[in-house]
Amino acid sequence: MFPCGSMDLLFTPQVRPESSGLAIIHHSMYVCELPANHRFPMAKFPRVLHFLLQDQVITEKQVWVPEIASKELLSGVHTEGYLNNFISGRIDEKEQRRTGFPWSKGIVRRCRYETGGTVLAAEVALQRGLACSTAGGTHHAFPSYGSGFCLLNDLAVAGKYLMNSSSRNRKVLIVDLDVHQGDGTAFIFKDEPSVFTFSVHCGKNFPLHKQQSDLDISIEDGLEDKEYLFTVADHLPWLMESFRPDLVLYDAGIDPHWEDELGRLRLTDQGLYQRDFYVMKTVVSRGVPIATVIGGGYSKDIDKLARRHSIVHRAATQVWRECGM
Amino acid sequence: MEAAEIDDILDDWFIESLKSYKDLHVYQLEHPTQVLEWTSRKTVCVAGYSSSRNEMLELRLPLKLLADENKGLCAERDFKVVHGGFSEGPICCLRHIPGTRCVVTNDGQSSDLQLWDLGGDDCDVIRRTGSIQGRSVSHTGSRIAAQRSTPPQVLHGAQSSNVQLTHLGTGETLYKLEADSEDPLSCLKFVGDTVFLASCCNGSFCIADTRTSAAPQVSPAPSGESVLWWTDASAAPQQACCKVIRLSSSGQALVSDLRNLGGTVCKAQLGIQTPPCKLEDVTVLWAPALDGCFSVSGFSGLVQIYDTSGWRTELQDTQPLFQHCGHAVSSQHTDDSVPPAITSHVWHPERLRTLLSAASDGSIHVWDWVEPERN
Repeated sequence: MFPCGSMDLLFTPQVRPESSGLAIIHHSMYVCELPANHRFPMAKFPRVLHFLLQDQVITEKQVWVPEIASKELLSGVHTEGYLNNFISGRIDEKEQRRTGFPWSKGIVRRCRYETGGTVLAAEVALQRGLACSTAGGTHHAFPSYGSGFCLLNDLAVAGKYLMNSSSRNRKVLIVDLDVHQGDGTAFIFKDEPSVFTFSVHCGKNFPLHKQQSDLDISIEDGLEDKEYLFTVADHLPWLMESFRPDLVLYDAGIDPHWEDELGRLRLTDQGLYQRDFYVMKTVVSRGVPIATVIGGGYSKDIDKLARRHSIVHRAATQVWRECGM
Repeated sequence: MEAAEIDDILDDWFIESLKSYKDLHVYQLEHPTQVLEWTSRKTVCVAGYSSSRNEMLELRLPLKLLADENKGLCAERDFKVVHGGFSEGPICCLRHIPGTRCVVTNDGQSSDLQLWDLGGDDCDVIRRTGSIQGRSVSHTGSRIAAQRSTPPQVLHGAQSSNVQLTHLGTGETLYKLEADSEDPLSCLKFVGDTVFLASCCNGSFCIADTRTSAAPQVSPAPSGESVLWWTDASAAPQQACCKVIRLSSSGQALVSDLRNLGGTVCKAQLGIQTPPCKLEDVTVLWAPALDGCFSVSGFSGLVQIYDTSGWRTELQDTQPLFQHCGHAVSSQHTDDSVPPAITSHVWHPERLRTLLSAASDGSIHVWDWVEPERN
């Protein structure tokens, strides 16, 4: 059912889970210190795993730990110059301001682990059909600069790597349902026929300077569960039929939620669950592997935010069960 | 500028604003306002100033801003119109009478006042209920001040020679200020229950008490070339710690203590590009809850916040603690090459760092700024 063939796992995970349950990719280094009162909810990453374990959605045995993304891996997407400056801290004041992050060794490390996590999720998905990271979705990063809390483009790095890592070019579909357009990813793959970028986002929101994905659906402020789900359902099935991807990377951003501080849509928790379940079921039932990342979400209540980010993992668990994986 | 370049500037500012503000909400009025007046912790009045018919609106702040806890529960991020009405002329000054649903307005072209009822829960129409005739001819309009009192009264005047306290119900004159300056008033404000400040645009001001007919205490105009001055006084519960700030159109700021009207506690020179030339251009306000901080608008398309705590008695240059660039940045989307002017701004009476600002393009921002880290 899933494409076999020789596959070199880039990573030898430090912990090889014994269970055959749904793979959850997580690293304690997904976090770093930020200045007090920084707007980015860094603390959410470990809390996502915490709630999945506490609520017994998963067990520790399902957790895979990625390695740090090497410079070589990152150079598939990012320029040599940017990577050198980024890793060694030569990002100037203006560039740092655009990313929203002050540079630190910690932030470099956590971004590299996050990217490593997305790549591992994609690899495990290819092996097992479905895998979910507890981070990822840094889609505003461009080849030579970061933007909007994104410093490295994890989805692009994973897409590029997996596209090339088999004997014939793999086709990768990137489904980005974060409320902000995946502008970095769109730009990176604009001339790449093997990678299809699909973004559903709120038009009147950051970034105002939009790129052109292979398919952009720009939606109005205030859209609610039903219309939003119709919008996704209008496009995903025919995309699967016409593009016929070998792998889907799914950005399950929760910022379309009505409580999100920066989003302007009105989805509920139930709507997010239905959306994620629909996307994963649609892909898995066609025998195509799918890896998920948590995408964006902004709230001062970290626990509420983390619980909401864990919706995709809960939906994935249900898909795993229903599809007898 | 290319559309993409403008978008980039807006995107940069959006990311910047995530760090500089705890909250920022933007609203667009159909017509710009020159007045921003709190009618409660949650509601504010605005009104048009065109030469003909103008709308007056009472707006409720976005619920999302007001909720200190459970912010996530409030999806409402917009201002909401709760009451509205029409005026046949421009509204250049608008004052709420505390403890009532009454506001008093002036059209900036005479010294007459109009009285309005904002309406209650059962009625969303703002109605004109009467008027008070002014005592003088004026082309700059009257200043209006009000303190909580029974019966409701309003203090008003266009020059210090015709400042009076008027009974709202009967129109009876309860008090007249003993002063003779014909210079237009720049500020009229209560600094205590019955004690008030009246300042002229030449920079002089006086302190008087509506309970007595004694002559007011006067602080003369600052020396130097004649320029325009704007004034604000902090309304402290006891008069003893009340401070007055005066700002000239050339950017000189003087702080005085009401215990020593003739002296200057400290001063500083603000950086000015173009001196404003009209009285209504500029707003200067002490922060109600941040000791020693004041705000200025009208010198550029920004609202600037200064901290006087480091100022000395010798004149020195000073830099703003914070600048709100929102109106200038978000107006880039229009084709106008001239950035909008800030027509008015006001501090929230209780929240430490929340301000409201309005611009000539009809935009209204409410923003809760983050104190920058000081080196």
